[in-house]
Order: sequence, then structure tokens, then C-alpha cells
Amino acid sequence: MLILICKYNNVCQQCDSDGSDPSAKWISFRSDVLNTSKTLAVLNPLKQADHTIMQDTDLAGPLVFCLAFGGSLMLAGKLQFGYIYGIGVVGCLAVYALLNLMSMTGVSAGITVSVLGYCLLPMVILSFSSILLSLQGIIGIVLVCVAVVWCSLSASKLFVSALEMDQQQLLVAYPCALVYGVFALLTVF
Amino acid sequence: MGENSVKVKMADTSTWRNQESKHPAVVDLDDMEMEIVDKDDSDYETNFSDSRPPQQSQQKSKEGVYLEDMRKRFQDNVTSMMWQAGSQQAKKAWSIYGNIDILRPYFNVEPHEVRSRLMYSLFPQKPTDHRQRVPRELYGPLMVIFTMIALLLLQMKTADHKVEEGTLMGTAFGVCFSYWIGASSFVWFLCYVCNCHMTMLQILSMMGYGLFGHCIVIFLGTIIHTSHDHLFFYILWAVFGGISTLRMVCIVISRTHGQTQRMFIGGAIAALHLLFLLYLHFAYHQVVEDLSQVFDHMPAINHPAPQSLPQTLTETIVEQAVQGNNSVQHIVRS
Repeated sequence: MLILICKYNNVCQQCDSDGSDPSAKWISFRSDVLNTSKTLAVLNPLKQADHTIMQDTDLAGPLVFCLAFGGSLMLAGKLQFGYIYGIGVVGCLAVYALLNLMSMTGVSAGITVSVLGYCLLPMVILSFSSILLSLQGIIGIVLVCVAVVWCSLSASKLFVSALEMDQQQLLVAYPCALVYGVFALLTVF
Repeated sequence: MGENSVKVKMADTSTWRNQESKHPAVVDLDDMEMEIVDKDDSDYETNFSDSRPPQQSQQKSKEGVYLEDMRKRFQDNVTSMMWQAGSQQAKKAWSIYGNIDILRPYFNVEPHEVRSRLMYSLFPQKPTDHRQRVPRELYGPLMVIFTMIALLLLQMKTADHKVEEGTLMGTAFGVCFSYWIGASSFVWFLCYVCNCHMTMLQILSMMGYGLFGHCIVIFLGTIIHTSHDHLFFYILWAVFGGISTLRMVCIVISRTHGQTQRMFIGGAIAALHLLFLLYLHFAYHQVVEDLSQVFDHMPAINHPAPQSLPQTLTETIVEQAVQGNNSVQHIVRS
């Protein structure tokens, strides 16, 4: 949630004539920083994504999800914000370079970071579940596999719809799966 | 008259003496030294301003300022020219060598092509007179390298491997990319020496796909732990490592003329490939085997009768103390 507060003087003539103190006024109250259409597209990887969804490259959602991921790991006793930042940067650079080499139109760094950030949501859910149960057993392996496949499917779907690479979704999904697999290693170990 | 002339002369002398008293002919060196010390001028500096007239000094200062301006302008022009020339050269070099579009054709692949190439990397073909085809592709080898990095990370995390200087991710990246590029460069050099018809891109593609067998071995070796011995690993090493090595050696033999050259290149590729897999296992997986051996050989586990923990600890401490005492006595006597 992002709340903007604005305080200004000189409200109106009546106030000035009364000589009252300048008052503070809440200018705007924004609660839709997270792009709901993108979030829903991530949560439902099997649904067809609109190709115009990626025209808006906002980074607030990815930032919120990364902080939530780091916060949930912190609740589980692991302070790994630095690793999240490092792996995120390296992963984004690698995917950005790969997509620019594979696609005809090319992709901007903002779109790459935005898609990879939004698709981190299933990994955030996995890290919250790691607080309650151990991920080093059979159940943990299954949950990790499901989360990694979910993230990579969502990311590849969004990339493919934006770059018109329908025949190469598997080729885009695999490197995304590797990136999210490293995030899963952070969660498990 | 004579007396008057003398008197005049006398008066003259007195005036002369009066003048001398005002401006004495005797030079006082102390005063001169004081004057010299007070001056800051060096021996080579001359103060023309005092001797020249004021108009000439203004003209000269204007000329000096003009010369200074000229020098500064010339300097700026030369600097800007050099900067422009340097930046143009850098842009030209970047457009030639840093253009990512050069690599674009090598990433234009379909999923079924990558799948088939991965499968065929484990099936060696008998070398014939016809050259075996090697695809010029970089997507598949790059994904195999990244997979190997992820598997190495998994292996290191499972084995609780610690890196003293650096990070696990950095170690994995360094090891994998160094081998891929370094070994490919060495093989390219050998191919150049032995007249083997393979380009650097083909060698990179071949060596990259050849690491698929290594990925299988690392994955199976990580998820299936065997204590005490490495037989399972050696079996995997021989099967998957040997098959992928044989595939690469057959490719190289089909493209090389001369028995000696073929043996040379084939031996080098086999040695590099198989030794790298041994290194990956024993450098990052050994910790698990050592720990399992330690836990299996602990005396408390093999003791028939169960004892209480404090009693076991007391016996252990007493035993260690006796051993230490014996060693100290031995040293003192020697």
C-alpha cells in the first residue's frame, strides 16, 4: 500500500479571513499499486494472457513481492535479502540477454524485470509455507517442483504473449525455471 | 689675493665636507646587506616595470594575456578533437564486436531440435569417411551449462560445502564457464595444429552438449547417496561420461586425417571430459561421504550394551586425559 500525503497552505478565502491555521488535507489515497491484471495472470498460468498486459512496466509490484519473499525467509530464520537481490539481478540480466537474442523484436530490461518480479508470487507463497512445514522431505520436494513449474509457466506465458514467440514457449520457460529453481534453493536450504 | 683664494678654497672644502656628511663616500656594508636581504627577487629576475615606461608595460601585459588565451583555446581544441576521434573509434569497435546481433542466428532453434540434439549427444556414431555434422548452435550448450551450475549449487548445498573466499554461486559459475570456454579453446588450438576441420563455434556446441552426461551423473549422484564407497559414482562416470566422450571423439575422428593426429585430439578430449567429471564429484561431493564414514565408525554405535550418556562422556574424557598424559610424559623423557 502506498499512501500519499500532501499538506498545503492557503486553503480558501474563508480560512484566510478567519485567520485560522493552514490545514492538512489528504490529497490521494492509492491502494492499487499492484497491477491486479498481471497478478491474476500469474495466479492463473493456464489462462491466455493479453499481449497488451506487458506494455505497462511497473516495478512496484516486483519490489513488493521481493520484500515479501525476503520477509518470509526472515520469519523462517534466514536473512537473505542480499542473495535475493544478487540472484535477481543476475537472473534478470541473463533472461534479458537470452530473450533479446531469441526474439525478433527484442525486449526491454523493464519488461524483463517486471515479468520476473510478478511471477515470483508463487515462490513467495512457498516461502510462507516453509515457516510452517519443513521443505526437505517428500512433501517439500513436491511443493518446490510445483512452485518452480508454476512460476516458469506464468513467466514464459507473459514473455511469449508480449514477444509473439508461441512456438518457443518451452525454450523461454526453461531458463526461467532455472532462475526460480535457484530462488527455491534459497527457500529450502 | 692669495690669501683670499685660499680662503675660498677653504670655504669650498668646507662645503664639500658638508656635502660629504650628507652623502658620505664611505660605504656601510651592513646597510647594503640589509637592503639585499629584504629583496625577494632572484638573481635571474629583473624588474623591468621600474625601468620601463608605464605605456609599454601595459602593452606587454596585453600581449601576454592574448598569448595565454591562444594557448588555452588551442589546448581545448586538441582535447575535443582527440575525444571525438577516440569515441568514434570506440563506437566503431562496439558496433563490430559488441553487437549482440552477431550471435542471433545461433539462438534460432526449435524445442524439438534441442531435444533431439540432447538425446544424440549420448549416442556415439561410428566414424566413417563422411564428416559427422556438428550444429552451430549456442542455446542448447548454454542451457546445459546453466543446468550444471544449478546442479552444482544443489550438490554444494546438500553437502554443506563452504567456500572460504567467494560465494557458492560464483564458484559454480567460474568452474562451469571456465571449463566450457577454456577446454573449447584448447581443443580449438589442437584442431588447428592437427588440421581438424572444426570451427570454434562447432567445438563450443559439441563440448556444451557433451556436458549433458555430466549433468545426469551429478543429478543422480546428489539425490542417491551411497556411503563407504564410490562404486555407484564410478559406474555412472563410466557409462554416461564414457558415452558422451565417445560421441565427441567419433565426431573429431571423422573430421581429422592421420592416425597420430586423431589419437592426439581424441586422447585430449577424453582426458579433459572424464577428469572434469571426477573433479566435480570429488571437489564438491566428498564431504557427504566423509560424514557418513565418521558416523558409521563411532564407537558408541558399535557398543553392544546401551550406556547412559553421562557415563559414556566420562569414559571418553578420562580416556583422552590418559592419552594426553602419556604423550606429555613421552615428550619430557625424550
